[in-house]
Amino acid sequence: MSELLVPVTVLTGFLGAGKTTLLNRILTEQHGSRYAVVINEFGELGVDNDLVVDADEEVFEMNNGCICCTVRGDLIRIINGLMKRAKKFDGIIVETTGLANPAPVAQTFFVDEGVRARARLDAIVTVADAANLPARLADSAEASAQIAFADIIILNKLDLVTPDAADAVEARIRAINPLARIVRATRADVPVETLLHQNAFDLARILEMAPAFLEHDDHGHTEGVYSASFEVARPIDMQKFQQWIGTLLQEKGSDLLRTKGILHIAGEARRFAFQAVHMMADGDFLETEAAPGEKSRLVFIGRDLNRPQLRRGFEACQVAA
Amino acid sequence: MSSAAGDTLLAARGEIRELGAHVVAACFNRAGTRAAFALGDGSVHLAASNVASPGAGEWQRVDVHDGAAMALSPDVTADGFCSAGDDGALRRISATGAVATLFSSGGKWIEHVSSFAEPRGGLLACAVGKLVHLFDATGARLKSLAHPSTVTGLAFDARGKRIAASHYNGASLWFATSKSENPRVLEWKGSHIGVAIHPAVEAVVTAMQENALHGWRLSDGQHMRMTGYPAKTESMGFTRSGKWLASSGADSIVLWPFFGGGPMGKPPVEIAQIEAILCTRVACHPRDELVAAGYANGVVLMAQIATQRVVVLTEGGASPVSALAWSPDGARLMFGTEAGLAAVVDLSARSQAHAEAEPRT
Repeated sequence: MSELLVPVTVLTGFLGAGKTTLLNRILTEQHGSRYAVVINEFGELGVDNDLVVDADEEVFEMNNGCICCTVRGDLIRIINGLMKRAKKFDGIIVETTGLANPAPVAQTFFVDEGVRARARLDAIVTVADAANLPARLADSAEASAQIAFADIIILNKLDLVTPDAADAVEARIRAINPLARIVRATRADVPVETLLHQNAFDLARILEMAPAFLEHDDHGHTEGVYSASFEVARPIDMQKFQQWIGTLLQEKGSDLLRTKGILHIAGEARRFAFQAVHMMADGDFLETEAAPGEKSRLVFIGRDLNRPQLRRGFEACQVAA
Repeated sequence: MSSAAGDTLLAARGEIRELGAHVVAACFNRAGTRAAFALGDGSVHLAASNVASPGAGEWQRVDVHDGAAMALSPDVTADGFCSAGDDGALRRISATGAVATLFSSGGKWIEHVSSFAEPRGGLLACAVGKLVHLFDATGARLKSLAHPSTVTGLAFDARGKRIAASHYNGASLWFATSKSENPRVLEWKGSHIGVAIHPAVEAVVTAMQENALHGWRLSDGQHMRMTGYPAKTESMGFTRSGKWLASSGADSIVLWPFFGGGPMGKPPVEIAQIEAILCTRVACHPRDELVAAGYANGVVLMAQIATQRVVVLTEGGASPVSALAWSPDGARLMFGTEAGLAAVVDLSARSQAHAEAEPRT
């Protein structure tokens, strides 16, 4: 089913981080695939490509009761428009402006039925400048959001920093987002096949991140965007979990940038995968079965995370001992 | 739902083609002599409306756009068409297939085209991003109207005096030819994705991202909320009398009453329901209170509003109907699907007599 949907890669990153260099490489390299590219500024790319689409990042607020549910209406139009083309392509790359919050792009894929029927969010790729990222994180909320939302982070311009500085930046990234794959690069020289067709939003892929769920939890961190991971031993009561997470996302959704979980549901052999972008949640049973005694895990990436409260809430979702 | 006549009607009275690309838009010219289909491969296919005429079986393919065609409308002339594409070109196509460029946006998509004809000329409009460009009948640009966000729909009123454009947070209603620089702004929060004007200019209605329609009564600005759709309304239009607004977005034709105080506080009438199959296109008959509709499974039918009587023109393939239009005299109907099926059907009484007199094999 998902093979029929066109994969969409979202490319974020601050001005000067190397986003355009990467885009140019994707468009000019011989990799045998055709990509439609949605960009904000025409002429920015050095290639003449009939699949480059000019867009104005037009965000609007959905009138569905979600306080933070903003959506890219232009993207809905463009994806539907591209699908009418006779000459097919293998994927769509959406570039966002340096200062953009990636949330509206991601939420677009949860909200619009037409988009969901034709395309799927494949991965959010963030290009970060190893030398400048610490300063950006300090002075801009968008930089934290771009790191927080990323499935893949290209730590670029490594030739400009010492190995120690590179390690420090990577640790800083991990404190915000323990689940993203970090790819080190200079001049954005990352193999294209490691960025596209990643299926990062596929619920089954969350399983692969499971080991990372508890590795980099930065307990001391309480400012800006950071992550909090939890695990519980007893099986989860599905109804209790749905109710708790539903209320939590409704009330705290604007602070919860991304949530991912792998749950062992009481009375069910298969694992349950869960993910959310702000208030937009998606969850389903996976084909794989949980190992006996397997713990349930949940990771929140966001602001003002009340760890004790989140822990108690998650623990209360377990079946009675 | 009666479907016995089914595809027999189409076979006896229609011309059907597989054109091989998504049919993006379809319309007849103003004289009603030619039918045009605009496709996702950039081509426009011209067919004779009179399917019984000599040579009617020969459709003409014209390569108009480098990319996909995005919009099509009859030209202000009697026999031509206007098309726009994702190559940023607005082009005129004559009845014989000659192509001339009217305007180029420099590569930015042109997603909407509309025209209005009058004996002394007429107006053409196209939407490029946040701008609506207005042209006179000769193709000279009269003015460009700016909007706060990308224009998602365009409609002239029945007299060509006003033009409405939908966008984020509402619609703008402009006097097309006056010097006035400011539109009447009809506000309602959210993303509006299409627009229609009541034939007597009593109301402007938009379709919304949130599976709803929103209307403004123009006399007093009264809001009209029309909700309950399971999907977005991609196609809508008023009947000739202005009594009903027909819309897609449900598994039936949804008709809102614009009389007796409606649509406020009135439920819509739903006709021609096909359980769990989305209606994707509607087209109101230019004279009678009759609506043609296309569905996601390729079914095309006609439904009379008063009697709710339904006549099925085709049982369809599996592909959703993506374009549907009546000829100006209402004697012919054309439709196209996402998979590239295209058809022109003659429904005139003369043709009916002809079809019935002919022995069936």
